[in-house]
Amino acid sequence: MKILEAQGLCKTYRRGQQVVEAVRGVDLAIAPGQILAFLGPNGAGKTTTIKMIAGLVRPDRGSVAIAGRDPHREADAVRQLGAVLEGNRNLYWRLTPMENLEYFGVLRGLGRTAARQQGRALLERFELSAKRDAAVQNLSRGMQQKVAIAVALVHRPKLLLLDEPTLGLDVEATQTVKVLVREIAASGCAILLTTHQLDIAEELSDRVAIIRAGEVIAEQATQDLVRQFAGASYTVELEGELSGGQRSQLEAQGVLIQGSQLFVRGAEILYEILEIVRPVPIFQIKKDAADLTEVFLKLVQAPRDD
Amino acid sequence: MKLPIELPLIELFMAELRRNWIQFIRYPSEAVIGVFIIVITFYFLFTGASYIAGPNAALSTEAGSERLEVLVVGYVISILVISILSTTSNNLEQEASTGTLEQIFLSPFRSLTVFMIRALASLSLRLAIVGISLGVILLITGTQLQFPPLLLLPLTTLTLSAHGLAFALAGLVLVLKRVAQILGAVQFGLFFLLAAPVETMTGMGRAVALLAPMTPSAGLMRDLMARNLPLNWHLFGIALVNALVYLALGLFCFARAERSAKLRGLLSGY
Repeated sequence: MKILEAQGLCKTYRRGQQVVEAVRGVDLAIAPGQILAFLGPNGAGKTTTIKMIAGLVRPDRGSVAIAGRDPHREADAVRQLGAVLEGNRNLYWRLTPMENLEYFGVLRGLGRTAARQQGRALLERFELSAKRDAAVQNLSRGMQQKVAIAVALVHRPKLLLLDEPTLGLDVEATQTVKVLVREIAASGCAILLTTHQLDIAEELSDRVAIIRAGEVIAEQATQDLVRQFAGASYTVELEGELSGGQRSQLEAQGVLIQGSQLFVRGAEILYEILEIVRPVPIFQIKKDAADLTEVFLKLVQAPRDD
Repeated sequence: MKLPIELPLIELFMAELRRNWIQFIRYPSEAVIGVFIIVITFYFLFTGASYIAGPNAALSTEAGSERLEVLVVGYVISILVISILSTTSNNLEQEASTGTLEQIFLSPFRSLTVFMIRALASLSLRLAIVGISLGVILLITGTQLQFPPLLLLPLTTLTLSAHGLAFALAGLVLVLKRVAQILGAVQFGLFFLLAAPVETMTGMGRAVALLAPMTPSAGLMRDLMARNLPLNWHLFGIALVNALVYLALGLFCFARAERSAKLRGLLSGY
């Protein structure tokens, strides 16, 4: 069973005379314990999609089901949802972490006692017990983010939306948040993660969905997507000099030459390239391991069909 | 283990009450400054009015000088109402910028319910601040006011009506984000409305004043507190209907604004 099932989400905004199709037929699904990285350039429709999932923006068309319930029709559906939105802290700055946890626990429908118990457990789990009585505004940015995530989990939701959870954090705090996100997913919570830090997305996510101009242009298992793009390029490193004629022939084949290195796109032309290079000695031939950043850039920079 | 999920409104009210008071008392200097500003503003109004009216005018501290008592009651009512209006819209603006506003809409409670509970919890704080300020003003001016138990009735209708306006303004905040200019204009208008002597007016003027928000409740409070008159039940009936109508209008505007904000994707920070 999927915890999140969003189908055919569409949203159009009118800004004066201008009509902007922010989201066009987006489908997303996440299973329990799965992390889906939802990636896209600025203005691609990520935030609108997330807010439609959370029930904060009403879609023009399409449906959202969180554990089978529609947040736009059933107020109870949000009991299964926790969210840290838009990179800010979503906390009351004058309250302590414990007071925030207690308040938001009750706001999510817990009794005070249950909210306090759950708050204490989360502070311990997130190693924040020592700061439980410090005002949130006096905590470091990393700690504030940990508190925000703890608050989003206080009612034990089945789906967690994390919008840029590592934005503005230093290396150590980023590492801590990454560990937490993994632990939360391991406990069975489905996570929808947006970030511009693609190395983090690659490291954490089980699946990736890439959105461009309101449409999802790729959605598959992270490693499959990376492998798919990695399979097509090679680096040939030479030990000798190329002649002018060889250079011209290689460039005509679309090979990029940088010093002693040749970048070859496509396995089908690899042997032709080696023929052109002959008899220059070859130091090594390496199949390029693409990363998610490369995949992302190729996908979002590719010419559009429409 | 599954957590016991309940939706008791009293728990939510108590949580809101705690949140309000903790945020308030964590910075006691702000509370002291708040009371100081209310008192000092009144003092300047009082001395300014006395200066303009001249030494023989009735605006003096002598016992029985009804004008001063009426002035004190009118001022305190204005402060309470403006405090309700500005707190509601300012808090909403602030919450939109810190991201806590969206979290309220992620609650299984209806957002209107949460905001009504919040208003009620916040009212206790407003009343405490205004009450302390009133005490200081009475001490400074030597004025004596009456506080009969029946005062609670017009005070309730006054705050209901004020919250009607506050919810309408809060709806504007949801859609427009910043309403400082509108709030300023509303506050200016309120000084006139709350000062309208509906209890002594006659004819068309009285009819118009009775329809205006909060005016009948303010008149009743002046009668009870400054003039030591018994409660005019007929006028209270009008004040009650007036309050319920403005509260209903305010809640309706807020609900429409929330719907519009969700449709237009405006329910967020800046």
